[in-house]
Amino acid sequence: MPSSSPSSGASSAPPIVSALPFESAAVRRSILAAYWLVIIFALPLWWSSTSIERLSLPNSRVWSETTRTLQFPLHVVVNEGGGASGRHDLDRQLTERRRHDPEAWQGLQLHVNTGETHIPPGGPVAYEVDIGPRHGSSILDSRRLSCEESEVADILNSLLAPYGKGADRGDYRVAKYSPRYRLTFTLLNEDSAAGAAATGWGIEDALDRHITPVLSRLSDLHNFTVESQVQFHAPLAFKPVPVVIDGKEEYGLTQEDLTVFVNSAEWTLSSSVSNDPVLHFVLFVPSAARRPLHILNSEGWGQHGLRNLSDNLFLEGLPSTSDAFILPQWGGIVIYNPPSHIQDHAHLSPSHLERSFNVFLRQLLALLGVPPLPPGVSSSEISLTTWQLDALLRRRSVENVAGCQETLQSIVKLVDQIPNMPVGQDVRGDILQALSELEQTYDAAKTSPQLALVHSSRASTLASRAFFNPGMLALLYFPPEHRYAVYTPLFASATVPLIAAVIREVLAWRRQRKGKEGLENDPGLPGKKKTE
Amino acid sequence: MYLHWLAISYSLCLPYLILGSFAAHTEQFDEDLVLRSLRDGKVLSRFSFTTRLNGTTPRNPQSLGSEDSSQHYTLFPLALGQVLREYAVSELHLSLNAGKWNYERWGYPEESGVGTGAELWAWMGAGDPTTVDERWQGLRNALAGLFCASLGSLDEQRTTSPSLAFAPEGSLPNWTLPHLLRHASLPSEHVCTENLTPFLKLLPCKALSGIASLLNPHRLFDADWHGMSVHVLWHEDMGVEVRLAFQAVFDPIRMSLEQKRDWSLQSIFDRSIRRSCPVAASSQIRVELPRDQAYSLGPDPTEIDGEYAIFNTKNVTEELNVSLRWPFEAIFEYPLEPPTVPLTHFSVRRILTGSSQSRGQLSITIQNNLPAQIQTIYLETMPWLLEFYLHTLRVHCDGRSRDDLMSLITYTLPVPHSRPTLFEAALTLPPKATIQITMDVTKSFLRYTEHPPDAQRGWDLPPAVFVPINIPTSLNQTTSLSQDKRSGRPLELRRIYTPTLLVDLATPDFSMPYNVIIMSCTLIALTFGSIFNLLTRRFVLVRVTDSEEKQDKVD
Repeated sequence: MPSSSPSSGASSAPPIVSALPFESAAVRRSILAAYWLVIIFALPLWWSSTSIERLSLPNSRVWSETTRTLQFPLHVVVNEGGGASGRHDLDRQLTERRRHDPEAWQGLQLHVNTGETHIPPGGPVAYEVDIGPRHGSSILDSRRLSCEESEVADILNSLLAPYGKGADRGDYRVAKYSPRYRLTFTLLNEDSAAGAAATGWGIEDALDRHITPVLSRLSDLHNFTVESQVQFHAPLAFKPVPVVIDGKEEYGLTQEDLTVFVNSAEWTLSSSVSNDPVLHFVLFVPSAARRPLHILNSEGWGQHGLRNLSDNLFLEGLPSTSDAFILPQWGGIVIYNPPSHIQDHAHLSPSHLERSFNVFLRQLLALLGVPPLPPGVSSSEISLTTWQLDALLRRRSVENVAGCQETLQSIVKLVDQIPNMPVGQDVRGDILQALSELEQTYDAAKTSPQLALVHSSRASTLASRAFFNPGMLALLYFPPEHRYAVYTPLFASATVPLIAAVIREVLAWRRQRKGKEGLENDPGLPGKKKTE
Repeated sequence: MYLHWLAISYSLCLPYLILGSFAAHTEQFDEDLVLRSLRDGKVLSRFSFTTRLNGTTPRNPQSLGSEDSSQHYTLFPLALGQVLREYAVSELHLSLNAGKWNYERWGYPEESGVGTGAELWAWMGAGDPTTVDERWQGLRNALAGLFCASLGSLDEQRTTSPSLAFAPEGSLPNWTLPHLLRHASLPSEHVCTENLTPFLKLLPCKALSGIASLLNPHRLFDADWHGMSVHVLWHEDMGVEVRLAFQAVFDPIRMSLEQKRDWSLQSIFDRSIRRSCPVAASSQIRVELPRDQAYSLGPDPTEIDGEYAIFNTKNVTEELNVSLRWPFEAIFEYPLEPPTVPLTHFSVRRILTGSSQSRGQLSITIQNNLPAQIQTIYLETMPWLLEFYLHTLRVHCDGRSRDDLMSLITYTLPVPHSRPTLFEAALTLPPKATIQITMDVTKSFLRYTEHPPDAQRGWDLPPAVFVPINIPTSLNQTTSLSQDKRSGRPLELRRIYTPTLLVDLATPDFSMPYNVIIMSCTLIALTFGSIFNLLTRRFVLVRVTDSEEKQDKVD
């Protein structure tokens, strides 16, 4: 080895390690350091490329906004000759009712003033009450009530807070708020081939007369798409029971039958075109073979029992006074028994439909949550009164705000619970927007219920859009085990020599330092031994 | 007194009731069933249910931004009306078929859209608020929901606009902006009961009365060929028309014990007509009378019109079970030889040759059966899986190269993963000649995730379509092809569909990605290890002693 001969010293000296130009501890260590530097600098890149986008949500703001309650200030201005005593009296009576039924009065701040108090225009909603002796019923005008002193507290209570426990039995009947509803009116013939069927109806006329005025009155709350169809075969999934009513053979529907009345397998009622909720109104014409058909009272069974009539067992039933029923949040059904002299292929005229459409109207109002007027009160306004609309606006705003608050809280909880759930910019943006709409709702409630409804509806839509954002599901099904399975074969085999080299170098360095110290302390000792 | 008044008021509104049934009827429903015995003993049945909405026009797409007028229908299906209004569709054709239509044995079908699988095409006006493509997407999704079919997958990768072959069958409204065509087909769609149930729900009388009561799913889906279709047209003088049709080819010989081709409604549908649909303006069963042999038809038809016996089913008072018998035929003998008299003007065969997974050749053979020249439109729509080499296109007529027979070629190149191929050309068929068209194709290499779950099965390719555009009318009488007067529709609209093809693409071993991961990891680890080792290895000079040196030298 000719290259080694000039460097070789005395025979007893240790081999000279730095003889090769590249073979020095510094070079080797810098190579090792370069590897580690690359790894260390690549780590953030790797981290950002494999981690999911998870923006922070404004948790504290969500909690503070969603624990607020919506407050509607109501000003009642009492016009009365008596002065302050009447006002105090009314105030006291209403406070008592409020304590009695706190649920109904939730979110309502009542202020009772006398006529002298000036309420600025554009300010909060103010109602005027004229108390005085009256003949006949109490009169409602646009935000003005005239009634007798003895009734005023009761009437005001049921006008301003109609959604108590007692007044409206069915919160569950009311369809969920939507800015647009689809109203489908269907004339259903159970079996038109059996004869005496209704093959047409004056639907447009009937709608114009009964439904459209109310729909335009409700335009602050909802838009409506109205459509209608006629079906000629709509079999029931069960057979109505034959009953004897007042000695005549008729057919009856029990209360249990009503729950399975809608035969969705055979009736074509659903709409596939839009996501707007549909309210169905069905005019059901029973088959000619099963007429007349009535709804039986729930008590009808026990009281009358079985009776033998011409060798057949018949049930003697007690017909209910109504031929209509509501399916909560779905729609309403009216059973129409055509007059017995009706011809084949009859076209139902508006006069035939008068009664049924009045029922449809009441069902529609019930499904939309319009409060009924208290008994003994009449109005000069057509269809709905401003008092009813105001109450409905307040109720729908409260409903929307509650729904939005619940959704926002659920999102925050869900994101906290699942660490793998991505939260993108769109989700965060929707939540922030929903929060600002919520804030605007709280502000708008002080002046205008209409504005409050608009903002609350937007807030609710945004919150549910954030909740159902498909991006939040993206990486939910990519478990960490999967990641390790891909990374281990690559990284384990590469990092083991790297770490081993570091350990070796550290050991070598320590030994070298020890050797140096040893040399300094005791120069007689030989130097470092060969390490390889 | 009160009762008296009530009686008077009732008697007053009685005439109103009767009059009311005749007034304000702008909707009309007609139903029709055609039954025809075919040459090979099978029975073709075609149900047609037409609902007309008189005096209406399709929705103008420019009005989509504003509120639509309310839809009040009596006979027209509301579920379909909603879809048509929502997406402003002027003309729509949807067909869902199962089986291969055998033109040689069965002749022209009553409904010309017989391509296997699903086919949807629609003419829509261009408009401002939404583009035609957005509405096309909405339309196919809505129809997919309505008919429970996977029409949603008729996406951009399958949508083409072949304007020559699919001309509008009705009239198109004259709006300021033009109408555009969208066409897509899905040959792998399977048709079954879940599609028939929503189809029946669109009929005014469902399957409970009238002719529709014969639609028994157990028998229909047992048929040799079956298909349903929905056609929405607009006639300028009448209005919007919806026609729902069901076509099936039954095999009475298979069902009979004596191997006879006699049939009756009861034997093929397992049902008979018991009551009529009360709202049908007309309702009839037309049975085509056999020409070759003695037959007996029962019961007596209402009237006989040429070669058809017509049964009026508008007012059925007793059970109607139409039957056709050949009393002097002991056993039906299946015609084994190819038919001597052709049933179609020309016949087409299409095959895909080539055994490799990357190349192939498309070969079409067309036989003109007429002693006259025929002009046709030839249309190929292919998913991007198959790419044509247009420079290899060759046309041979009776063995001689005749490139002049093909003209007006439109070719849209496929864009991998996004756009399908469209090849449309006008083809001249010389009298009694056989034309052969060949074209080289390449098969695409798919991405790992683009393979369907049953990747080894191959991909179904849509049928080619031939549309005769001028057939000399004088020849129709001389040949037995008098079909045009049967259905009353012009021959030009008769499209001929070839059977679908199956293409075998390169299919990977699906454990491949894991093999690749392991393999590349091993390689990287090996390379890294050796380079790293080389770089950080400690090279040490070992001083060789003199004695060793000497020994080395000695060695």
